[in-house]
Amino acid sequence: MRRCYSTRAIEDIESELELKGPEYWKYLLSKALQDKSLDVLEHFVLTLILEETEEADVCVLTMNFPYLRATHLSGNDWLLTLNARTLVELWRDPRGMSAAKMIVSELDSKNTCPIFNEVAFGVKINAN
Amino acid sequence: MRIKLLYHTDLDVLKGVLFQKNIPFDPEAVLDHVVYMFEIEDCSRVTTHQLVRHRAVSYDQESQRFSAATREGVVTPPSIQSNETAFRAYDDTLKAIYMTYEKMVAAGVPKEDARYILPSAIKTKLVMTLSARSLMHLVWQRTALQAQWEIRELATTMHKLAQEATPELWARIIER
Repeated sequence: MRRCYSTRAIEDIESELELKGPEYWKYLLSKALQDKSLDVLEHFVLTLILEETEEADVCVLTMNFPYLRATHLSGNDWLLTLNARTLVELWRDPRGMSAAKMIVSELDSKNTCPIFNEVAFGVKINAN
Repeated sequence: MRIKLLYHTDLDVLKGVLFQKNIPFDPEAVLDHVVYMFEIEDCSRVTTHQLVRHRAVSYDQESQRFSAATREGVVTPPSIQSNETAFRAYDDTLKAIYMTYEKMVAAGVPKEDARYILPSAIKTKLVMTLSARSLMHLVWQRTALQAQWEIRELATTMHKLAQEATPELWARIIER
């Protein structure tokens, strides 16, 4: 969604996106990534459980990526919330790459946001 | 002004996941993990200037670089609306501003430059996404009696929508 280029009501923008379909979504996402207009990705927020992860590793993420939120649950389990922009930034940064790979792999296994995964991370969309 | 809650975190899903981990649901502990996405239409740029002071929020606002301004698209504060002398002066000035804006655009000035003359009363649209913690802070500050009427109306409606969508979170924390 790119509200700043349109004067139309949100319902019209949503209808247009639905009508134009996945190829158009891919185009918009590719353009946002290519132009480094990552702010549009901030509206897509992911919440995950991070299991068997040491506090030191979580601290590396929270210290280096301020828009990522982590809350300790129990043992080595954490509740993690980040938006799609932060996920892209993790992916592009050696300090976040391994966490990003884990998250993208989890999204892929759950078939969550497959188009975003394909465009941003090169994950092939499962035909099934 | 029209405010719509486009998306919010599903608390039942979050509770279900915590339940599987034998962790009791504590609303205060999930404030950073519950998010709301709002669409706001037809509020003034006066109000969005105040709104963007709340920093840990993602905004996507209609651009005046690309969209043309119209004479009808302005907010009139009640204090001006109800005062005949003030309203006449306000209306006359707006007419003159828009006439100049249109003249400049017709003369080939790009909209992004012609907009320098536009008033803060102009209506705008935006999408904003924020966590429950950020929204609570915004509601606390902007529903106070000292807040201006338009952003108070906005914050009151956002509070109402968030409370309807995720009552547990707001019943325990924000009631005061």
